[in-house]
Amino acid sequence: MKHIDDPVRLQKEILKKTCYLAVIPVLYSLVSGEWATLLGLLFGLLIGTLIFRLRLINIERSLQMSEGKATSFIRNRYFIEYAIYLAVLLVARKNPAVNFLATAIGLFFIKFTVIGWVIIDLIRDAFNQKLESFKR
Amino acid sequence: MIQFTPEVVEAIITTASLIGAGVAVIAGMGPGIGMGLAAGKATTAVRRQPEARGAIITTMLLGQIISGSTGIYSLVIAIFLIFS
Repeated sequence: MKHIDDPVRLQKEILKKTCYLAVIPVLYSLVSGEWATLLGLLFGLLIGTLIFRLRLINIERSLQMSEGKATSFIRNRYFIEYAIYLAVLLVARKNPAVNFLATAIGLFFIKFTVIGWVIIDLIRDAFNQKLESFKR
Repeated sequence: MIQFTPEVVEAIITTASLIGAGVAVIAGMGPGIGMGLAAGKATTAVRRQPEARGAIITTMLLGQIISGSTGIYSLVIAIFLIFS
């Protein structure tokens, strides 16, 4: 991950990895016939992905502003995202056809992907360092 | 020892849950302030070093993704407290 400097490429990589990772719970809920869980996961994933895309657009817009304007712009956008999350979670809680916890997990999926990717990178680096020192 | 009726106990529990939900929602606003400060500093950094724009954006994006999850945690806890 740390070798990727292009934000658009990083975004594509994260979304690709999220899709790969999301296949496991989606298939599980499909096979077990838990439609509420499936709907919740897909709902959360969809909103999470769109907010992730929106976040990159906001960051790129904020870099053309002055420091004070960028600070307030990103802060206001975060509160809009927060309201969207609140609406999504309330809809999932109120609607019996959508599982609330599955929606929350769907919203978290991109974060899980990023954290997992960073941990795998760290383990790989540590392993390579050990291997290099062992070879020397 | 003071004895409360079940209705009073239920009212106390509901009030405490709602206060807890409110505190959780307020806690979820912290990342917004932090993200804004990071974005402001990133703007200055890009002005100072335009060639590092890509690295700055990717670092900020990853930081915002991770810090944004705190807001979802707080919302989930608040909704659990309100509706349980």
